[in-house]
Amino acid sequence: MRDARDVLIRPVISEKSVGMVDENKYTFWVDTAANKIEIKNAVEKMFKVKVAEVRTIKVKGKEKRVGRYVGKTPDRKKAIVTLKPGDKIEGYAGL
Amino acid sequence: MAVKVEQIEKNKVTLEIAVEAEQFTLAINRAAKKVAKEINIPGFRKGKAPRHIIERYVGKEYLANEALEPLLGPAYAQAVEETGIWPVARPEVEIIQAEEGKDVIFKAIVEVKPEVELGQYKGLGVPKKTVEITDEQVEEELKRRQERHAKLVPVEEGQVQDQDIVNIDFEGFIDGKAFEGGKGENHDLTIGSNTFIPGFEEQLKGAQKGQEVEVNVRFPDEYYSKELAGKEAQFKVKINSIKRKELAPLDDEFAKDISEFDTLAELRDDIKKKMLAAAEARANNEHRDEIIKKVVDNASVDIPEGMINSRIDSMIANLSANLSYQGVTMEQYYSYINSSEEQLRQNYRPQAIEDIKTELVLEAIAKKEGITISDEELEKEIEKQAQLYGRKVEELKAALEARGELEWFKVGIINDRTVDMLVENNTLEKKDSEQPAENMIENNE
Repeated sequence: MRDARDVLIRPVISEKSVGMVDENKYTFWVDTAANKIEIKNAVEKMFKVKVAEVRTIKVKGKEKRVGRYVGKTPDRKKAIVTLKPGDKIEGYAGL
Repeated sequence: MAVKVEQIEKNKVTLEIAVEAEQFTLAINRAAKKVAKEINIPGFRKGKAPRHIIERYVGKEYLANEALEPLLGPAYAQAVEETGIWPVARPEVEIIQAEEGKDVIFKAIVEVKPEVELGQYKGLGVPKKTVEITDEQVEEELKRRQERHAKLVPVEEGQVQDQDIVNIDFEGFIDGKAFEGGKGENHDLTIGSNTFIPGFEEQLKGAQKGQEVEVNVRFPDEYYSKELAGKEAQFKVKINSIKRKELAPLDDEFAKDISEFDTLAELRDDIKKKMLAAAEARANNEHRDEIIKKVVDNASVDIPEGMINSRIDSMIANLSANLSYQGVTMEQYYSYINSSEEQLRQNYRPQAIEDIKTELVLEAIAKKEGITISDEELEKEIEKQAQLYGRKVEELKAALEARGELEWFKVGIINDRTVDMLVENNTLEKKDSEQPAENMIENNE
C-alpha cells in the first residue's frame, strides 16, 4: 500500500477551503490515482482523526499554448474530507 | 497602561511605557486586516485572507511592526499627559518587548522643557531715557520738508551752480578717439551728486545754457572698467538746460501748501509733537527691551539641543517661505550669499537660543506671578484684534481655533502682560530732586 504522504500532497489553501474548516471539512490536493478509501486511510493515519466522509473532484489541467505548440497543465485531484464531529486537524493551513 | 519616568539627564527623560497584551493583540488583528487589503495572496480575494494566512505569508515580525506603529504614538501621547512632562522634541523610541500575548514595553527618550532658574526680575531699576526734541531738530525736519517740496525751475540766463540739475549731451574721447560707453544724450545730472567721475561735475560749473564745454578728466585707477581706469579723457559736453531747485519760503503759505495747518507755528508744533511721540515710543521700546534682556540674563536655563534645532528649523523654513515669494530657492540663496545651510544654521544659533530663553523666562515669570488670562478677557482681546483687522469676531475666532493658534494667541497676551509687569517693576523712578538739578545746569549755560 502506498504511504499516506504519497496520497496527500498538500492542503488546498483558498478562501473557500479555509471557510469550510468551520464545517469540519478539510480540503487536500491528492494523488490523481488515489481513491476515496485510500484518502480516508491516509488522513486518519497522518492526523490521528476519524474520517466521516470523503468527496473528490478531478480538476482537469488547462490547455496552454506556446506559439503553435499546444501543451497541457497536469490534471489534479482534490479531496474534501469531512471528519467525525469532535475531531479536528491542528496546523491545517497554519491554524 | 503603565508608565515609569526616569530622569537621565538634565532636561532629558526616559519614559518606560507598558501597553497591555490585549491591546497589542487587537492592534495586530487590525494590522492584519490592513495588510490583507494591500497584498495579493493566491487563493484569496484582496482583504479576505484570514489573519493566520497573512501571518504565514508576510511573517510574524512584519505584522508585529505594522501593529506597533499605530500603537506607540497614542501610548506615548497618553504617557506624556499622565506624567505631565513637557517634551520639546521628537522622542527616540526603543522597543524592549513586543511579543503577542505579552505586554508591549518600550522606552521613549525625550528632551523636556527645561526648568528656568529665575534670577532677580524685580526692582532692577533700569532708567528710562528722557526724550527731548530741540527746536533745531524741528527746524531740520522743516528744512527736509522744504527740500522735498522744492520746485525745479528752469534757468534760462545764468551759470551752472552746485546742486543744479543739468541736462547734457556728452561724448568722451581718449587720445582723440571715442570710446564705448562714453556717449550720452539728454542725461540729467545733478551737480555735486558725484554720480560721474570726480572732476566732471566741477568743470561744468559756470557754464551757461546752450554752451559747449570741454571737460578733461582722468578715470580713477580703481575704475570698474579695466580699459578706462587711469586714462585721461576729454569729454565734449553740451548743456541742454539748467534746472535749479527753488525752495519755497518757510511761511504760513508753505504750511498751508504742504499740511492741513494754516500757520507755520501750528505746523512746527505738530512736527514737534509727532517727533516727540516717535522718540517716546522708541525710548519705550528700548527701555522695555533692556529690561527684558536684563531679566533674561539674570535667569539661567539649560536649553536642550532638540529645542534649539527645531527653532532653527522653523527660522529657516520662514526664510525659505519668504524667499519663495520672491521666486528664489534656498539653493540659489545659498550660492548668492556664498554660504551653506550648515553655515546659516550656525549663524542663526545665537538668535535661536536667545529667543527660546526669553520665551522660557517670560513663561516662568508668568507662572510664578500667576499672570493668566480668563476666558472673558481672551474674548475681549479677540474682539480687539478683530476690530484692528476689520474682521468679524466669530470669523477670527474660528480661524484661530481651526489653526490651533488660540493657544499661541493666549500665550502672546500673557507674555505682553508679563512684560508690562516687568516694565512696571524695573523702571527707575526719577526722583523729584533730579529734575531741578538738570534744569539748573541748563540755566547756567
